[in-house]
Amino acid sequence: MSLISRNVFRALVQGSQHVGKGVHTSSVNCEKNVRFAPFGAMQPNATKEGRIKCTLIPGDGVGPELVYSVQEVFKAASIPVDFESFFFSEVNPTLSAPLEDVVNSIARNKICIKGILATPDFSHTGELQTLNMKLRNALDLYANVVHVKSLPNVKCRHHDVDCIIIREQTEGEYSALEHESMAKLYPRIQFEKMIVDNCTMQMVSNPNQFDVMVTPNLYGNIVDNLASGLVGGAGVVAGASYSAECAVFEQGARHIFSGAVGKNIANPTAMLLCSANLLAHVNLHSYSKMIKNAINKVLSDGRVRTKDLGGQSTTKDFTHAVISSLV
Amino acid sequence: MAVRLLSKFRVLPEIRGVANVSSAAAPATLSDFDVQHKTPVIRKQKLIPKAQYGGRHAVTMLPGGGIGPECMGYVRDIFKYIGAPVDFEVVDIDPTVDNDDDVQYAITTIKRNGVGLKGNIETKSEAAYVTSRNVALRNELDMYAYVLNCKSYPGVETRHKDIDIVIIRQNTEGEYAMLEHESVNGVIESMKVVTASNSERVARFAFEFAKRNGRKKVTTVHKANIMKLSDGLFLETSRRLAKEYPDIEHNDMIIDNCCMQLVAKPHQFDVMLMTNLYGSIVSNVVCGILGGAGLLSGRNYGDHYAVFEPGTRNTGTAIAGKNVANPIAMINASVDMLEHLGHHFHADLLRRAIDKTVNVDRVLTPDVGGTASSTEVVDNIINNIGRC
Repeated sequence: MSLISRNVFRALVQGSQHVGKGVHTSSVNCEKNVRFAPFGAMQPNATKEGRIKCTLIPGDGVGPELVYSVQEVFKAASIPVDFESFFFSEVNPTLSAPLEDVVNSIARNKICIKGILATPDFSHTGELQTLNMKLRNALDLYANVVHVKSLPNVKCRHHDVDCIIIREQTEGEYSALEHESMAKLYPRIQFEKMIVDNCTMQMVSNPNQFDVMVTPNLYGNIVDNLASGLVGGAGVVAGASYSAECAVFEQGARHIFSGAVGKNIANPTAMLLCSANLLAHVNLHSYSKMIKNAINKVLSDGRVRTKDLGGQSTTKDFTHAVISSLV
Repeated sequence: MAVRLLSKFRVLPEIRGVANVSSAAAPATLSDFDVQHKTPVIRKQKLIPKAQYGGRHAVTMLPGGGIGPECMGYVRDIFKYIGAPVDFEVVDIDPTVDNDDDVQYAITTIKRNGVGLKGNIETKSEAAYVTSRNVALRNELDMYAYVLNCKSYPGVETRHKDIDIVIIRQNTEGEYAMLEHESVNGVIESMKVVTASNSERVARFAFEFAKRNGRKKVTTVHKANIMKLSDGLFLETSRRLAKEYPDIEHNDMIIDNCCMQLVAKPHQFDVMLMTNLYGSIVSNVVCGILGGAGLLSGRNYGDHYAVFEPGTRNTGTAIAGKNVANPIAMINASVDMLEHLGHHFHADLLRRAIDKTVNVDRVLTPDVGGTASSTEVVDNIINNIGRC
């Protein structure tokens, strides 16, 4: 227990040290950018041609539609990533791939992009653990990192929100005790405590005061969702879960949006941001920037907007707009 | 006296708790980094969870002075190019300041990251109370063993060919105890501290190293004919441990003879084990034989931490910023680091590129007989990556 909560805290502070705020992504910054290019895909798990394998779990609800959008963008940008796709679902247990296969695939590839898994109201087998929890425990994905950042031209009550929420997600409702002892190891990072009830109030009244937050499991879930609401909802906030060995990229606020299934109206921004973070994680920084810039451009132009951001455009329209903005 | 006894008692249970697990064998699949962090050892330093997130390692980078910063720049360029899953946390240490804040912070970062890559840190102050920062770093992290792998590059012209020596040096005590005082006016005493526990640790490290790397012989270097107690203890300890490793030949040699033998017949040596100051001297002798300060890389190991640096601890202030410094030593140190972390794929990629640059393409800086600039060497290495 103590080990895990320490690790979470460490993930927190290490994350905060990275200038661009992208955890694990932006620290190798050097002036001379000239040489950085096509050889980026040299990974141990890459194939002969330098392509990278990535596990893909479409998930439930609008998940498959959003993942399709990511695949379209990757194809258009000829990004050297191959997906190993698994249908994985708890609401549809007969079609779902076995947990073991999925876990093995992620452990082998080290990276995964995942839609949201729905949790049925009652379990078919009487088990209490959800599939999400089983996956996290099997891979020891102890830290969930959500970067909540205001996007251009997304109208919200607050502007320039930019904070990272780190949530412990393999344990229960205690851990704060250890944080202070870890803070001593990071003397150059300011550390303060806040009680969760006050914290939620501060979040909605003055979110700009926060930089990096670390929370236990349940509070993290609440704060994640609250913060996502501040910057435009579940459709625009990306997140990732980390273990020591692998990283699973998924949306920050976990909603399956089942009401929108098949209607082609869900916002793929969050999923595309996830994919950009994934690319940065495997050192494909130029591709990552390419996608992020394209998303920012489409949002700034404001002509193509999905329903959740007050527009009339479809998921496909948005995806195509991003593709045509790729430079 | 009573107080001293009491403090001893307080320490005891901890020692007893870990003594019976200290020799647990590590599975072969673990990287050195994992071995340090996942297997039980005698805990002199408190264990901190390892800094690995989503398959990426966090590593402390201490550029140091002189040519350090430019060499670190090359390492980062190369790491970016090969996509090594390593994130650097850079700590700059101001050499002109007398206080120790930066050094303490550097030590803290290494404690939480477990691994560091460093240039040589200058200690400009000559005031007696300011201790060498390099020494402080090694002592505080209890990195008791220093390993210098001295292997000839066929591409570098030297008097002796095909040398392959490993120098293992006690890194925290001996002559470097930094205990000096003036007892009577005009008489300075300097203490050399040798302890049985540290001698045993480093000797065991040497024999284990020899065993794991298929080496045949360990030579203990000493001056026990003069310093009968201190070097005597060091020599006795290594002789005693040698009996536990019957497959590995053990001999000893007096330091002065050793230096002569090294320059005359270096091929007789395999693994060399010695105390702190002798290690410093012999490392520089061997580096000199193999082509100077710019080629070889050294490794500092403790039970929990590892720090990688260029083999001879020189800052190279005179050639800083002139684009002539040999970057190979620092790049080799970074390869050692990748190997330690278990990123063998990237380490091999880089190692092959360096070997081709030095031995086949012969793109070399002036210090090893070439005409290329530092950046030309680095560019050549980058060009070779993935193509050899």
